[in-house]
Amino acid sequence: MYLNQFLLLAAFLFSVGVYGVLARKNGVLVLMSIELILNAVNINLVAFGAFHDTVAGQVFALFVIAVAAAEVGVGLAIVLLIYRNRHSIDLSEVDLMKG
Amino acid sequence: MSAFLRGYLSVLVFGFAAVAMVGAMLGAGRLLRPSRPQPQKYIAYESGVDPVGTGWSQSQVRYYIFALLFVMFDVEAVFIFPWAIRLEALGIFGLVEMLIFIVILALGLVYAWRKGVLRWV
Amino acid sequence: MLAATKVDVAVFGASAVIVLAGAIGVVISANPVHAALSLVMTLFGVAVLFVAQEAHFLAAVQVIVYAGAIVVLFLFVIMLLGVDRRENVAREELRGQRPIAFLLGIATIAEFVLLTRGTSWVTGAESVVGPASGPGANVETLARSLFTRYLLAFEITSVLLVIAVVGAVVLARRPPPERPEEPEPLAVPERLHTPQLDDAAPVPATEVPAP
Repeated sequence: MYLNQFLLLAAFLFSVGVYGVLARKNGVLVLMSIELILNAVNINLVAFGAFHDTVAGQVFALFVIAVAAAEVGVGLAIVLLIYRNRHSIDLSEVDLMKG
Repeated sequence: MSAFLRGYLSVLVFGFAAVAMVGAMLGAGRLLRPSRPQPQKYIAYESGVDPVGTGWSQSQVRYYIFALLFVMFDVEAVFIFPWAIRLEALGIFGLVEMLIFIVILALGLVYAWRKGVLRWV
Repeated sequence: MLAATKVDVAVFGASAVIVLAGAIGVVISANPVHAALSLVMTLFGVAVLFVAQEAHFLAAVQVIVYAGAIVVLFLFVIMLLGVDRRENVAREELRGQRPIAFLLGIATIAEFVLLTRGTSWVTGAESVVGPASGPGANVETLARSLFTRYLLAFEITSVLLVIAVVGAVVLARRPPPERPEEPEPLAVPERLHTPQLDDAAPVPATEVPAP
């Protein structure tokens, strides 16, 4: 296994996630795209950990998973609140702070 | 590395066996059964009664808190597994650090309980 | 640490296809439930990649926490908000939002290719990935590192999780004042009326003697 294989795959996954965050308007799907980005990061962390023959990469990936759980919990609560106030989860309609 | 992946070969074999079994059963059913499509056959089955409304009914927000608490304690369990393996080597120090971890997490549960979101009205 | 065998390359290729197909499914499907199932596919592919690097525990965590809990939370909110709430994928709010997003995605990949161009970038022949700290002892080495060197981060994770629970409870809770009154709708108008009558009576009574 070569390091660059994993890095290239993670770069693709990250790019797809970035595209999803920028292009989707459904709040839930934007959060899912963020999960894709976090998974790309996890692939990189584990691959570099294996490359340097240390377990630190896996420990950090574990923390990333915990952070992802917290982020999804609060993010989905925010989406629920937006839905309750506006009866829509279209993020392009959330424009109260538009100048 | 390859020897290690060979250990996972049985997982692969099981996967293929599962897919093949489902395919064989459904395929045999398709071959043996008569095919007379009627619109009534595509209605969702509700114990013989005609279904009312659509398949989707909005669930309540209150369930969300429970699902979220499940996720949080799932993550907690993930940290407990490696701790349990190393418990003998870590000794009393490990016990104290996990106790701190669990007590802090329990604060969240206590908060949710005090706010009354765990009550099933 | 061995060089890549054919089996390794095959496992990597298969899981890479699964990961990317799932990821593309997440960003292009109009039905949110299909997107969630594609996300599960991606997460399983990543778990296979973890197994290929002998990160067994992390692979298990990936399946248990990500596919088992986080995706369930997603599906839950989708069911809460309406499963047939399809997004019109073709509509663009900002002009050129989608092409710009696509270009930015391409730019990220191009950046990576440029960064690794100096070496033999397709194979990365000098960077061989091996299992961390020998096979078999995975969870133990992980735990030794987690509970000694990264102890503070571990404890702070619990604080983060508590903050997430508190935040979600505050955000998702229904405002309590309107709920408990609901079962007895007759009580509310009565209580609204009686103070008005009571107020109307004493106010002139107290105001008349004052001047």
